[in-house]
Amino acid sequence: MQVIENLKVKEKVYTEKLENGLTVMIIPKKGMQKKYMIWGTHYGSNESSFVVPGEDEVTTVPNGVAHFLEHKLFEQENGTNSLDILTALGVEANAYTTNDHTAYLFECTDNFYKAMDELMNYVQHPYFTDENVEKEKGIIGQEIMMYDDYPEWRVYLNAMQAMYHKNPVKIDIVGTIETISKIDKDILYKCYNTFYNPSNMTMVLCGDFEPENIIEEVKKRLIDTKPSGEIKGIYPEEPDEIVQEKIEQKLEVSQPLYTIGIKDSGGCDVKKHIAIEILLNLIIGRSSNLYKELYNEGIIFAQPGLEYEFTNIYAHVLIDGQSNNPEKVYQKFKEEVNRLKTEGINEEDFTRMKKMIYGGYIKEYNDVADIAKMFLADCFKAINSFDYLEEIEGVTVEYLEQILKDVFKEEKMILSIVKN
Amino acid sequence: MEYKQIELKKGIKLHTINTNQFKTNLISIFITTKLNRENVTKNAVISAILRRGSKTMPSQEEISKQMEGMYGASFDCGLDKTGDNQVLKFYLETVNDNFLPQKGEDMLKTSMEKLLEIVFNPHIENESFKPEYVEQEKNNIKQRIEGKIDNKARYALDRCIEEMYKDAPFGLYKFGYVEDLESIDGKNLYEYYQELINTCKIDIFVSGMIEDDVNQVVTANENIEKLKERTPEYIVPKELNKNLPRQEKMITDSMEVTQGKLILGLDICLDKEDLRYDTLIYNSILGGSANSKMFQNVREKAHLAYVASSTYLRYKNNIFVNCGIEIGNYEKALKLIKQQIEDMKKGDFTEEDLQNAKKGMIAAIKTIDDEQDTGITYYFGQELSESDISVQEYMNKIEQVRKEDVVHIAENVTINTVYFLRD
Repeated sequence: MQVIENLKVKEKVYTEKLENGLTVMIIPKKGMQKKYMIWGTHYGSNESSFVVPGEDEVTTVPNGVAHFLEHKLFEQENGTNSLDILTALGVEANAYTTNDHTAYLFECTDNFYKAMDELMNYVQHPYFTDENVEKEKGIIGQEIMMYDDYPEWRVYLNAMQAMYHKNPVKIDIVGTIETISKIDKDILYKCYNTFYNPSNMTMVLCGDFEPENIIEEVKKRLIDTKPSGEIKGIYPEEPDEIVQEKIEQKLEVSQPLYTIGIKDSGGCDVKKHIAIEILLNLIIGRSSNLYKELYNEGIIFAQPGLEYEFTNIYAHVLIDGQSNNPEKVYQKFKEEVNRLKTEGINEEDFTRMKKMIYGGYIKEYNDVADIAKMFLADCFKAINSFDYLEEIEGVTVEYLEQILKDVFKEEKMILSIVKN
Repeated sequence: MEYKQIELKKGIKLHTINTNQFKTNLISIFITTKLNRENVTKNAVISAILRRGSKTMPSQEEISKQMEGMYGASFDCGLDKTGDNQVLKFYLETVNDNFLPQKGEDMLKTSMEKLLEIVFNPHIENESFKPEYVEQEKNNIKQRIEGKIDNKARYALDRCIEEMYKDAPFGLYKFGYVEDLESIDGKNLYEYYQELINTCKIDIFVSGMIEDDVNQVVTANENIEKLKERTPEYIVPKELNKNLPRQEKMITDSMEVTQGKLILGLDICLDKEDLRYDTLIYNSILGGSANSKMFQNVREKAHLAYVASSTYLRYKNNIFVNCGIEIGNYEKALKLIKQQIEDMKKGDFTEEDLQNAKKGMIAAIKTIDDEQDTGITYYFGQELSESDISVQEYMNKIEQVRKEDVVHIAENVTINTVYFLRD
């Protein structure tokens, strides 16, 4: 087992790659009552075209399969539902699907091993029938309609439409009523068998564990599977250019919602991520001139959300919030980026932001659930979460200015608005 | 983990939760006052205006710079309805000294002083809040009030509460009313603020690795020193019985929605305080978990909804059943939900359901000390309701709930309001 200790946050992560290809990570938290276990596959809504190991042909499936699988895995052949069983054990169980991974998890104080039995059993034993697949379409249909009523989700998804021509990030994770209607049990089995091979999966445990013991407990519960070869994802060629600068949708909201996006090229780079976080805070963070100006003019009334989203196949900056004049926010944002490019970055502001970002990363280590989810998501990006704490030091004003020039390009910016 | 409280002055308490579980120290100041139409909007503006500047940090920008420099201290404000009280909440979370790159920062002391200054020593010009700030924050609150339509599910719940508590304090919207904003100006708001901080209930919480001198830091703080003793006016949320309406109210609102949001507001009549524990279990079986009747029968069997759940509002003794459904399925869903409520009265649930509900509840209680803000919320709840139930006692009470106790609760449940938000 490989052990990495981080002296800044004073935590350790134990990692082992098992014979069947499964990666297991353990972050011990002495004295915590809560234990958290999450098991994820590197498979999300991005993967709808791929070559199954051992086959030559490309397989293409309808959008929404990864999420559909997430719903269906809970159902067992003996008629039970694993979510019910886990809940009956007094544990909080759940699952979720993102663009690049799907995860099954539970959090508990008691009955850890029983819950582990159940989680590892259902994830390894799919049971799909024509009938249970049809039934799920009604529930997922309601989930899709629920998202239709979330203006935050609409403004985000429209931003993706404005930035991307073909990249799967523009597809709704849950699919559409139309695409899910085409899903059947054969498609589910095919995707399950391809992507739920242990060599495509990672498990993270966080809580008061002895790493050596818990890894044995994991091994005991694994069924005999051989690691599969590489799954080749087929992604459409994405042009560098955006699709359209502006996109708008009407929905009943009190005040327009906006998302400003900046299209970047895919790749997972911790140092770049840190630099972009610092830059966004310098440009429009709480202490920035731009924020003060927009706030005092009554154009925005809260700190916008600032984010850099990335996987191997896409990356973009997002700034989102509510404003009575999103066009003006967009305009001023562009002006501020240009000002910073010409005038350069103030050393004092930079030092303060670095401190802030450092504290932010330390705070991620309070809760077993946050820690486990972070290590899992980063692992699928081939990142060790501790790297964030280590790489800050190396971020310099010069590096920031370089990233500012490379990423914050006017021709890559888009504005998505949802309003009445 | 060790919880202690001391009364600094009459009506002002310091609560400390000493724990080494976290990387951070969390300080909260809670200002509790009676909820009423006259002051609800003013309180909302106060909670916003205090973020704008204090004596030594006269602008929002200055506060933010200080926080960023303190390794990203998170400063946050909230506004809550807790029973018939309005609670203004102020939080400051900082990294504990042990995890900072430099030694000797004394971050806890610094952050305590900063937060006390923000809440009790605001930026004042000529006996008035800065008029410019007041106008901006009035506008800010106006947006908040108008923004209640943006989250449709939340809006449906708020509307249901409003209908159930017409003309009663709890029916008020926590951010107040647009028409009440007009008469507020810097001068009258500052007068009101002084009255508020000298009459309200004040609770200061600190959770984290606390040095012995935190009491000292707070007691000696000039902003605490100048506060007067008080007999705070607030409502201890111990309401048990209700004047039941003779028949259930049916309310339907129209809005641009794809999915209908159906809410049932239930009243529960209790005659003993301890029956609240039975009610927690009742709610868990009805709609509080994935094993509940709502989830199993409305979602899993009838496939009518993705969200199908219920929540117990203990301070007001109400349960809200909540469902997102296809609009055309309204009658069907309503009938099915009512069936679940009826089945509970008939005792149509198993011993296993009961045990499962208890396990879920106990697991949740056990994690109170594992989450910094949950811990504070728990002890503040105890403080406000004047009870002194330890986490262990709380679990014991849950453990003792029997099937007949849950049926007894079910028999005392009545539907007050059926609310439907549709297109």
